[in-house]
Amino acid sequence: MIEIRDLAKTYGRGARAHPALRGVDLRIPSGMFGLLGPNGAGKTTLMRILAGIVNPSRGAIQVEGHDLATDAGKRKAKAILGYLPQELGMYPELTAAQFVDYMAILKGVGDARERKRRVDQVLEMVALQDSAHRRIKGFSGGMKRRVGIAQALVNDPRVLIVDEPTAGLDPEERIRFRNLLVHLAADRTVILSTHIVEDIGQTCRDVAVLARGRILFRGSPAELTNAAGGHVWTVTADRPVEPEPGLTIVSMLHLTDGIQYRLVGPALEVHPAAEPARPSLEDGYVWLMKQESALL
Amino acid sequence: MKGLKYSWLSYRRDQLWFPLAFLALFAGIVLILRPGARFNIARAYLGFIVPLIGGILAAYGVLDDPALELRFSTPVRAGQILRARLGLILSVSAISAAIFQIVLGGLGIDLSPLGNLLAVQLVWLLPTLALASLGMAGALAGAQTAIGAFLAGAVWLIQLMMNSWLRANARPAFLFLGVIAPGDPALPLNRCVLFGGSVALLMISWALLRRTERYL
Repeated sequence: MIEIRDLAKTYGRGARAHPALRGVDLRIPSGMFGLLGPNGAGKTTLMRILAGIVNPSRGAIQVEGHDLATDAGKRKAKAILGYLPQELGMYPELTAAQFVDYMAILKGVGDARERKRRVDQVLEMVALQDSAHRRIKGFSGGMKRRVGIAQALVNDPRVLIVDEPTAGLDPEERIRFRNLLVHLAADRTVILSTHIVEDIGQTCRDVAVLARGRILFRGSPAELTNAAGGHVWTVTADRPVEPEPGLTIVSMLHLTDGIQYRLVGPALEVHPAAEPARPSLEDGYVWLMKQESALL
Repeated sequence: MKGLKYSWLSYRRDQLWFPLAFLALFAGIVLILRPGARFNIARAYLGFIVPLIGGILAAYGVLDDPALELRFSTPVRAGQILRARLGLILSVSAISAAIFQIVLGGLGIDLSPLGNLLAVQLVWLLPTLALASLGMAGALAGAQTAIGAFLAGAVWLIQLMMNSWLRANARPAFLFLGVIAPGDPALPLNRCVLFGGSVALLMISWALLRRTERYL
């Protein structure tokens, strides 16, 4: 369980001050939790604060009962944490097994036999046991991500934080990665931060949407989907069309008799030929973002 | 022990060419010079070159780490990171100095004008520690490795260029007093100042490294 109260983070000072988080309140229970938001929403800042790397400007955080405001609490929280950063840097000259072993040492897994058992176990979990003794510099992007998740798991963390883990992966790797995260969430808290709506829909039972440093939505993916109810339409046209102001084209499907547009927006502005459609999670997200933009 | 091994394995290997190249260069120069000129080159390497290399390597030691964010997410303390990196750099300096002294010994070059065996080691060790601490503190204060390297290099150059003035007016703070004036009565105080200054700079580095977000 993670509890976040009135969390704020501002980078810089004076005229250069840039607020990244503005009063975030969240309770994140055990299981798979999705944090969704556009680029620059503050997701990475929030992930880094939870990982104990960035200090908040204001607010309180408890990770499994450990207070991140104190040095002792932060160290205890880090010991039960697994973290996969968005920009994953590793030591290319080390083998996958060496790298994971090194991270286990840094995380305080002292007993050599236990460490060896854990390294073998996590490399098997991410299907890298056959490449365990190959140098990381020869790995593909997907394999590196898997080494990243292996190092995050090597201390058997109660909280796993993964920031944009599927960015840059091919579809097959993405599916494999999502399935792995769902499996891992069975007995721990997994926080998945992403701007890819599909990743959340496929994995999370609980989701928060962050934009401009604020939580816009907190609930289930189904509730986020339902938020767009009555605001989604499809229009089929034989040539490309410009959407009316206030409408957003969510997708275009090229059919034999034209192009089918999927639109999200207020009912008043919809094309007369438009037909109502059942919303998807992506529609819900787009509708939420449109409402946020309208408030500015 | 294994942590030490990985510290070594994860260290940027390309940077090791730098001390090795200078070691080979100066060993080569000593070999080809006439015996009367060898001592000056020998003490120049130990007293000036080893500290400069230590200072520059230290500037890159902490922040030039591809897995820095991951490292910061572990319970490892700032002091442990500094100790590991500084220890590695001092080890590289010590190995370079030791190999060079073995070469000098093989050629029959006498370093006793610099003092006894301990004094000879202090000739390179204290300036190296001071410049390494300065390089680290500079890199961490500016959140850029180049700033630390520049600072260490600039102080080294200024001290070298102003050595006569420093020897006359600021002997306690003169980095190269041990190699230029090994019999100077201010040498014990100089050693204390260099050591104390290094400790102070390392404390500053420790305080700076605790603010991990500055380096991401």
